[in-house]
Parts: sequence; structure tokens; C-alpha cells
Amino acid sequence: MQILRRNLTAYGFLCAALACFTVFAWYPMVREFILSFQKTDLINEPIWAGLDNFKTAFLDPAFGEAWLNTLEFTLLALLCGYAVPFVVALVLNELRHARAYLRFVVYLPVMLPPIVAVLLFRWFYDPGPGLFNQVLDVLGLPPLAWLDSSSTALISLVIVSTWMNMGSATLIYLAALQNIPPELYEAAELDGAGIWKRIRHVTIPQTRLILLLMLMLQIVATMQVFIEPYMLTGGGPENATVTVAYLMFQNAFTLQDYGSAGALGMMLMIVLLVFAAFQLRLTREDKA
Amino acid sequence: MISVGARAATGRKRGRKRSPKPIEVQFRTIVSPHQLNSRWGRRIYWLVLAAVLVTFTLAFVFPLYWMVTGALKTPEELAQMPPTLVPAEPSTDAFFEAWDLFDIGTLLANTAYYSLGGWVVCMAVDVSAAYALSKLRPMFGNVILGMMLATLMIPAMVVLIPLYVTVVDLGLLNNPWALWLPAAANGFNIFLLKRFFDSIPRELIEAAQIDGAGPVRILRSVVLPISRPILGVVSIFTIVTSFKDFVWPLLVMTDSDRMTISVGLSQTAGAVTQNQIMGGLLITSIPMIIVFFIFQRHIMAGLTAGSIKG
Amino acid sequence: MQRSTGLSLVTVLALATTAACGSGEPAAPAASGGAKAVSITVACQPAKSAPKERQAWDDDVATFMKDHPGVTVKSTDQQPCFDPKTFGPKLAGGQMETAFVVPVTNYNDVIAKGQALDITPYTSAVKNWNDLRADHKELLTKDGKVYGVPNVHYSVGLVYNRALFTKAGLDPNTPPKTWAEVREAAKKIAGLGAGHVGFGEYSGGNTGGWHFTQAIYGRGGSILTPDDKKAAFNSPEGKAVLQTLHDMRWTDNSMGTKLLVGWESLMVAMGSGKVGMMLGAPDVVTDVVNKFKGNVADYGITGFPEAKASLSGGEAFMINPKATPEEAKAALEWIDFRFNTVGKGRFDFARGKSIGNPVGVPDNAVFGDSPTGQAIQADRVKNASLPVENYDSYVQAAGTIPPKAEPVHAQELYAILDVPMSGVLSRKEANIDQLLADAETKANSVLAAKG
Repeated sequence: MQILRRNLTAYGFLCAALACFTVFAWYPMVREFILSFQKTDLINEPIWAGLDNFKTAFLDPAFGEAWLNTLEFTLLALLCGYAVPFVVALVLNELRHARAYLRFVVYLPVMLPPIVAVLLFRWFYDPGPGLFNQVLDVLGLPPLAWLDSSSTALISLVIVSTWMNMGSATLIYLAALQNIPPELYEAAELDGAGIWKRIRHVTIPQTRLILLLMLMLQIVATMQVFIEPYMLTGGGPENATVTVAYLMFQNAFTLQDYGSAGALGMMLMIVLLVFAAFQLRLTREDKA
Repeated sequence: MISVGARAATGRKRGRKRSPKPIEVQFRTIVSPHQLNSRWGRRIYWLVLAAVLVTFTLAFVFPLYWMVTGALKTPEELAQMPPTLVPAEPSTDAFFEAWDLFDIGTLLANTAYYSLGGWVVCMAVDVSAAYALSKLRPMFGNVILGMMLATLMIPAMVVLIPLYVTVVDLGLLNNPWALWLPAAANGFNIFLLKRFFDSIPRELIEAAQIDGAGPVRILRSVVLPISRPILGVVSIFTIVTSFKDFVWPLLVMTDSDRMTISVGLSQTAGAVTQNQIMGGLLITSIPMIIVFFIFQRHIMAGLTAGSIKG
Repeated sequence: MQRSTGLSLVTVLALATTAACGSGEPAAPAASGGAKAVSITVACQPAKSAPKERQAWDDDVATFMKDHPGVTVKSTDQQPCFDPKTFGPKLAGGQMETAFVVPVTNYNDVIAKGQALDITPYTSAVKNWNDLRADHKELLTKDGKVYGVPNVHYSVGLVYNRALFTKAGLDPNTPPKTWAEVREAAKKIAGLGAGHVGFGEYSGGNTGGWHFTQAIYGRGGSILTPDDKKAAFNSPEGKAVLQTLHDMRWTDNSMGTKLLVGWESLMVAMGSGKVGMMLGAPDVVTDVVNKFKGNVADYGITGFPEAKASLSGGEAFMINPKATPEEAKAALEWIDFRFNTVGKGRFDFARGKSIGNPVGVPDNAVFGDSPTGQAIQADRVKNASLPVENYDSYVQAAGTIPPKAEPVHAQELYAILDVPMSGVLSRKEANIDQLLADAETKANSVLAAKG
């Protein structure tokens, strides 16, 4: 009786959350699966479509490019969004002055709504009076096409994305670095380890868990890149910036093909789950 | 750009020796205090510090300076090459024009309403769920928590389409609940809150129980007052996240008088002049910058609270 | 602002279990007695950035509501009023206005998906229905049922900036007639100095493909084979389109350095008065002046260079499939009043002139040569605020060049054709044959998949 009552109260407290999760988190995952096998236009009753949606998605002229771009974006973002904050955090951790200012400044862009960063950079990238080409001009360098060339458009998006997101990664690394017991460094120093060796044998192993976690988070984040291509390039030039998420949005909301968008979402979900499993194993091994 | 400066900076750090005015060291890091206070160490340290300060200011503050001054310039001055560093004839007209053109008053009011409403809903839902999972320990509690945490593996963008279709089926388009309810389904918040609640000593709760307090009373007068720090962190992140959100409001709040500020800016930015865009962006940024100034400590603490051990 | 407060967490639970569906729109508030109260929402109110136009619209709404007691008209001012990003979600989510605008590109899709109401019983509400262009009405008719009221109809020409022509030493009264002349003129205009663009063209956001279609039609080419089964744009005409653009961009340097993505980008550039020429219909002139602050007298339009055919474009009003008969009727009466009456609403040229609109631009041929069309034209000329002869060459050309409709699956094809357009405009070493061949392969596979 006691147990029943406790459970009833507990579920009373839980019911709102359960409802929210059921309708807006768990069910959509199932719905994605259903959606990808249906022909849906939201007006008429959905029709069973078998594998048609996957076929449409595969045959989409931009399908291959979208995956390649997403992969490339992810790799570039790993370089910029993953390595850079770590290095920055390493340096910041060594500094003894202006720490508050530097932390404030690096996190400032994270506070801004992404639309602000994106529209600001759209102006910076302007090939004419845009800030970047003007700076290049002052430095005596030739102007770049930035968003307007298939060879630089993707990296330009990565730069915006790094600018507006690197603050949080930097601060998380910084906190992790500060948690490293000083004795370890002292011991390493006594063993005659130089700066580089100390980083390799103390810093990196000590922050391994957080590095792994951030790797996962970074990949998950870049897989969903959307606002940058949506606002800055429209997927162009020559499909150079079409990402899977962008393609999914286009399929659903420009072509009203929710089925093939759902199919793309399914594929993305599977890729991410595989990644998550991989990550989990890495972490487990680490703990063992 | 950012990266180059930072990398160059690390590259330059090497060997350090004693000096008359030592650099104060409160904590041990990679470079030993001994090295740092060597003669070369000090020189290099100041050099690196200067380089980092300049790089960071250029990378993160200068763009904002450019935004502010861009809004103060005339369109003609903006088109000028090379650009002027300081506006020739600063004018605040662009702010007022942007205010009217973008209808920023309405947009900001909408966004504030959605953020605060979302905060209330989110806190009500998540706190009670975390409380139940932590202190009332129902059957299958761990299964439920696991399933909630599993949703963190699936990023929002991936389930965007089915979530959208679901919201359309429920007839919630252009209804703030379409923003609030999905936001309340936040496994991370529940996880953070539960972990904090777990650390509340059992004796406190039992003492209250002996006094005859029911679960609601215990939550209100024992758990919540103790949990102020974590509540603050979760609150700020919830509000900031919903203020910044773009894709989801773009889809569900489509009426021009119900849009959020981000969506409203994106819709109108194509049709106005550059200085007006910058004016609009600045006005949009101000609330978040103020929040950051006030709650800086909480935000930075919150960043590390969840992620380190998570 | 309306806020639905009916929902609470408890009802969400109920929603979750019963999956109840409801319409997000609350019922119309009961109006005063008399006629049955009807509330409709109508799209395309001019934006706040065009205050005079907006005022004129609001006045029309007031007049209409006075003449139709019991009808409440609410306007939405999303700009542009057809926005591909929100069109789908709104339509799908039942958030579409009672009367909304659909561009010709999307007619087939919208009608096929049942997203527009069959308005056959209500067409009589539009008094001049019979004078609307038959070929355009045909596009809106499926299986004998009518799904929309043609609202704008135009064929593509060459819009040019007369002021820049003068400045560059060109004669604005003899605009280019051939592509060679276009190139020459563009070079001279680009030579005016930094920021000047001789010829503006789109390269992304599906507008690139759309303008490629305009250009290839003009040269006598086609996007699809006559049976709509295969791509036909990998042709000498298609190649010529891209070659000309490529040469203008990279040999002549007359197209500026910025890629233009999306409809607004080129319109803003045109409105800023630094772009010499672009492909476009007369509505470009109106929009550039009204929405993008161009100077009315600066813009002229002429026939498409060397035109063999012209992409006909335009838009129609359609009615929300969920509208009740009363709402549908009221919406059509509104459409009739504001958009289809000589001397009223948008055809109130006297008012247009007084608020500084570019009156005289032949921006709409939706009534063609019918009596209504002639009456409108006479009225337009009478109130013209511009030298109508600036547009004579366009009007004459439009009368003689055969119109050509958009290809099926236009949006999918335009997305594919964005790629070669952005290719030649962003890469000097772009291989035109390769770009077209790739696009052809993609288009054929899409067409095959669509059946």
C-alpha cells in the first residue's frame, strides 16, 4: 500500500514530463521511422510508400554532395571547432593576467543569437566593401571570394560557426585543465619532461574523457549545420554548401516532400547512433 | 584567423628563468613557476599575453565594434572602399528605422514572452520530474531516466521533420505551446537537477517528513531552497537557449506578428539597407549581452557543472 | 497578438493519449448582427517599409468592410508574400490565409496536393472573370475545376537602368536588342567605377535555375522535351546562355564580384541604382521602386534580346481548402474588389500616382487585350506618372513573342540548374559542357523518379 502510494505520487510528479517526452521526444523518433515509409503531404491521408522515399532521397541530385559536404564540414569543424578551442584553453590556462576579460570575450559570441553572427559575417564576407576583403587589401593580399566560390564557401561557413560556438568548448576545456592535479606536472618535471612532453603525457591523458565527450558533441553539432548554409549561401555555389540537414529542410519545406525528408533524417539518425555507440565503447574502455 | 594567433602563441612558449618582479602563480600549470619567472620566461610570457589580448580583442570584440559603427554609418559610407574606421557623421537614425522596419518592438516582446513562458513551463516540468526521480524513486525510474537521457543522443535537427509533423497534427502552429512543450522535454535539465537533488542529505527530507510535510511541501520548502544554485544555472540556460533558437521558431511561429526576433530579422534582412540590418542586430544582441554581464558567473559555472562529469 | 491559453499541461496529457487534432485558429469572433459574420485573412499587405502602399491597402480593406457588412478582413504582410520557406509549412499546417498567393511555378504542385479550394462555384464573384487571360486560367484548371484567380501575368523582358545608361554614354531610348549589344552596354556601365554592375544575374536559391529558364526560352531553347520526359537544356541554346554569362563575368568583368542568391539580392542591388540591366518582367520595376527604394524614372524595360519565346510568369490567388463557403465567397469578393476592378484597389491609378507609385509600367497583362484589359490600360496611360514610351518597346515585343510556360517539376529542375549558373558565375575555369551534361544527368534521373 505504502509502495503504491509512493509510486502514485511519484508518477503524479512525473506525468507532465512523461507527456512532454512522449509527444515531443520519443514519439517523433518513432514517427521519423513511419514517416520515411509514407507519402505524406499533411493534407491528405498518408499513403504507404515502401522504400520510395529512400529511393527519392538517393536519387536526389544533391544527395552525394550533401553527405560529402557534411563530412567535410565535420572534419573542418573538428579542426577549427575542436582543436582550436583546446589550444586556446591551453594558452589561457597559462596566462596569469586578464583572465576574466579573456574568458568573457571568448564566450561573448556564444551569447549572441546565431542569426546575429550569421548576418554580421554575411556582411564581412561581402566581396566588395566587406570587412575581410578590406583587411586583405590593407595587408596587400588579393581579395577572396569567400561565400561566392565553391572552393572557399564551406570553410567560410566553418569560420562563422567556429566564431560563434568556440567559446563554450574553450571554457569547458579550461575548467578541465584546472582540475588537473599540479603534482602530476611536478612529477613529470622531475622526470625531466619538457613542455611538449608534459602536454602529451599529463594534460591530454588527464583530459581524455572530456576530449572524447566534446568530440562526440562536436560531431553531433556539426551534423546538424543548418542556419549557416540557409542564411549565407542557399546551398551554393554549385551545391558546395548543401549539408544533409539543409537538404532535409529543403525537401520538406520547399518541395513539401516530408517522406524523403524523413528518410534523410532516418539516415542521419542511424549515422549518429553508430557514432554514439562507438563513443560509448571508447569511454567504457577508458573507464575499465 | 583565430587559430593562427592561438597556435603561434603556444609555439612561442619555451624555457623561463628567475626575475626580480615575479609573476604571481596561484596554481600550477604546464609551465612551472620556475620557468615562468626566468628572464626569458617573463619576456615570452608578456609577449604571449599581449598577442593573446590583441588577437582575442580583434577576433571577438572588433566584429561587434564593426556592427555598432556599421549601424551608425550611412549606407553610402558603408559602401565606401576602403571603409572608415570611425563613422564620419554618426547617426542613430538606423536604429529607429530598423526598429520600425523590422517591427522590433513586437518581435522582442514575442521573444521575451516565449522565453519566459518557456522557462516557467520547463522549470515546472523538469523540476518535478527530477524530484520524483531523485527523491520519490518510483518503479522503472531508472528506465525512464535512461530513456530521457537517450534523447540527448538524437539532436533536434534530426527529428525536426517528425516533430514538426506532430505539432501540425496537434494544431499547435503559431501557438507558443509549440515552443514550450518540446523545450520542456529536456533530458539534460532533468539529469542536472536530479544529480543535484541526489546530493541533498536524506536526513533533511526525513526530518521534514516527521514534521508531517507531504511531497509538495518538501519540494517547496526543503529541496528548492537548497537547490538555488542549480536552479539558477538551469534557468539561465533555458532562457538563453530559447532566445537564441532559430530553426524551430522559423517553422512553428510563421505569422509575422508572432515571430521571434531571430526569425523576424532573417525574413526582413533581405529588403533593408546594411546599416539598418546592423541596427537591428545590435538591438537584438543587447538583451543577451546584458544577461551575460549580470549572470556571467552563473553561466560560466553552469557550463562546467554539467559537462565535466557528464 | 493572440495567445491561445486553453492548453495546459493536463490537456497535453489528453492530447497525447487521444491524439486529438484541432485547428490552431480560434473561431472568428461574432460580429454585429445583420449578415452572417465571416472573418477572412488575406495575404500580400504591403510591408511596413512601404508605408504609403500599406496605407492604400488599409484604406481598401476599410472600404471593402464597409461595403460588405459582417465581413472582417485581416491582412498578413509577410514579405515577399509568397515565400518558399514558409509557404509549405503554413499551407501544410493549416495556417495559410483564406486567400493566398501562389506563383505560377507552384500551381501544379499546390493543386495536385489538394492544397487549394475548388472555386468553380464562386468565380462569378469576380465580375471580370471572363476577361482574364484564357491561357492563364487554363493553368489553374484541372479536370474542369478552377483552383485560382489569375492575379499577375507577364512575359520576361530586359529591365534596365536608364540613368546609368545615360551616365555611361549610352542612349536609354535605344536599349540593347541583341546579346552582343547587352555585353557592350554592360561593359560600359561596369566601367563607371567600383560597385557598378553592368548585368545582374541570379545564381542560387532556385532563382538561378529560374533565370536560366528565362534565358534559354528567349534563345528558342527548352528545358524539357515536348513529352516532359527528358531534359532538353543541354543544347546549343543552353550552352550559349552560360557562355554569354561566363564571358560577361570573367572576360568583360561586367557582372560584379558578388554571387546573388535569392530573389531579394538582385532586387536590392537594382534598387541601389548600381546595376545596369537584368532579365525581368515589368513587375521588377514596380517592386524595385516600391520595396527597394529605386528611383521611379530611372527604370525602363524593353523586349527580351533576340527573343524567340518568353517565359510567362505570374501568380494567382488561391483559396484555403479549409475555408467555409461563406469565407471563400467573401475572399473572392475581396479579390474582385482589390485586384480585378477597373479604377479600384490596385488599379486605382489616380491614387497610385498621388502616392508616388510608378504608374504607367505595364506590369500586369492578366487581362490581356480584353475590354477590361484595354480599360485598365487606358486608365493607366491617363494617370501615368512616367513617360509610358519608356516601356513601349517591351509592350510591342510582348505582343509578338510567343509565351512559353514553365516546365513541370519546376522547383526541382531550378535547384539543379542553380548549379551550372553558380558554376559559370563563380569559377573562371568552369567547364560549360561538363556543367550542362551533369545537370542533364541529374534532371533525367529526377524526371525518371517522378515518372
